[in-house]
Amino acid sequence: MKLPPLLRLVVRNFASNLDPLTIIIRFGQPVITIVVLGTMFSSIISTNVTGGGSYTAFLVPGMIAFQMITGGVVSGNLFWLDRRWAMVEQIFSGPFRRSEYLGGLVLTTLLFALVGVGIMMLVGLPFIGIPSLSPLGVATVLLTVALGSVFFAGLLIALGTRLRSANAYFTIQSFLQLFVIFLSTVYYPITSNTPKALAVVFYVNPLTYAADTIRDAFGGTLGIADLESLGVLGALAVVAFGAAIWGFRTMELGPIQ
Amino acid sequence: MVKSSAGFAAGYRTTMPSDQIALETFDLGYAYAPGRFAIRHLDIDLHRGEVLGLLGRNGAGKTTTVRLLTTLLPPTEGTAVVLGQDVRYGGRALRSRLGVVLQAESLDFVTVERNLTLYAFLWGVPREVAKTRAEEMIELFELGEARRRKPWALSGGERRRFQVARELMHDMEILFLDEPTVGLDAIARRRILRYLKERARHGLSIVFTTHILHEADMLCDRIAVFHLGQLLALDTAEELKRKHAGAREVSVTFTAPPAPEVRTELARELEARGAVLLERVEDLGAPETKVAFLAPHAEELLPWLSHWAQSHSLELERMSVEEATLEAAFLGMIGDLDSTPTDEAKGRLRPSGALPPGRIGGLT
Repeated sequence: MKLPPLLRLVVRNFASNLDPLTIIIRFGQPVITIVVLGTMFSSIISTNVTGGGSYTAFLVPGMIAFQMITGGVVSGNLFWLDRRWAMVEQIFSGPFRRSEYLGGLVLTTLLFALVGVGIMMLVGLPFIGIPSLSPLGVATVLLTVALGSVFFAGLLIALGTRLRSANAYFTIQSFLQLFVIFLSTVYYPITSNTPKALAVVFYVNPLTYAADTIRDAFGGTLGIADLESLGVLGALAVVAFGAAIWGFRTMELGPIQ
Repeated sequence: MVKSSAGFAAGYRTTMPSDQIALETFDLGYAYAPGRFAIRHLDIDLHRGEVLGLLGRNGAGKTTTVRLLTTLLPPTEGTAVVLGQDVRYGGRALRSRLGVVLQAESLDFVTVERNLTLYAFLWGVPREVAKTRAEEMIELFELGEARRRKPWALSGGERRRFQVARELMHDMEILFLDEPTVGLDAIARRRILRYLKERARHGLSIVFTTHILHEADMLCDRIAVFHLGQLLALDTAEELKRKHAGAREVSVTFTAPPAPEVRTELARELEARGAVLLERVEDLGAPETKVAFLAPHAEELLPWLSHWAQSHSLELERMSVEEATLEAAFLGMIGDLDSTPTDEAKGRLRPSGALPPGRIGGLT
């Protein structure tokens, strides 16, 4: 049976660019973080800071939110490598619409991010307590990560359409990751001790919205604020993906370094 | 559909029923910035089962033409009809009937064998057919030793062979090859060209760009010569040679060295007939039996030479005329033009070999 072009592209994305080692590292890193950091810091970080639960229980939703970056980075890098090795042009010369190529990247992002969510839940739920997540909570977690990963994928694809140097792309991508991860509530909450300027940066970071919403989903405290967070994430996803489409339509073809 | 020749095209365009025409362009042009054209006023056609060569210097517009005809670039002027579909609207349906080997190396990060089957999968080729074809391609393109290697571990020639092999994994009606033989050794090149010729005999239409002129001579039924983004000529290799090869080397060997004054007289006579002697005037006195010169209409001089030798009681041992080459024809067309580009052409010039910055266009 012949798969639709979009799905053929997704299969190709996984088969051609994601070797087992990359997959293990991408998913293994957050798992190790939960186990190592969670165990290390649970004994020294006060439960007052983490809202009553252990530091591990605080960290798990953060690591689940982190999957939106993992998914986005996978797609961004896939696109960059396809562009660098002229596979974008080669695929465009074949039986595919350009929208299908972009759609394939989005679907790859979502699959990667949502599989990551599943793994993090399997690893993390024992630390949090399985009954803590309602069906609405699960749906919220999945939607949050899906929107966040589309945002990051869009951002990195847009970046990839503009840059012509691998060094520049990977340097900016690493810097963005560092900035987004450490200036968010993934690893630590915003408290009264957080410098005001830093707190502002935390609040303009989409990962903060995602991490906080996922924490509320786990805590069973979903509310209007979370709906607003989802709205912000959705809007950012639309803007970033719009930028990716624009970049895609106007990017220069031909050899890059 | 019948089309007349236009613009710079000096060659013929035969009257063909539309179902026998694989592609046609109509005043096709692409400007990468307002008023700056990579290609302009292009009128060419390709018949079913024909091999059309695109020749030209770096930056002449060959790759842009391939990209326009394969929908990778949208035309900014005119249009092209490929397999009965306008390239501006053909989209996926059209591309699914084409094969394209790009100039740039394109590869996936899996083994050669997996690359072949994965590419076939992308094209929707059934798994069993893909496996059989992969074996055929590996055999044909001598990739047996490389089959388990990843593309970056291949030599330049192996990568190019792999890229051509990969494109042949799926069915197509027109194959576009943008410099497919770069970096290949003579044997691999001949093998590929023979295979392509065979495929053309079975109905595949081929558009082929190259800088190796004898390759074009060997493979192509017709050749389009580009210069500074315009079509200079479209004709068979034989016609191009006949029309544009220009002066050819003629050498005459006498059985005994002619006297110096006789050699000088011969030189004068030849120069009067438009020939250029290939030795210095001061060497004419040397006791040489051979005289070599360049002549624009070499064959026409031979009877005269024979007569002249007879009238001077000289016995000819040998007369030879160098074969006209496509290279000579190409240089004849490009050489003079290159030194005096038109004002319009000057305005269009961009760094040699640079690809025009193409915009991909709509998400169709």
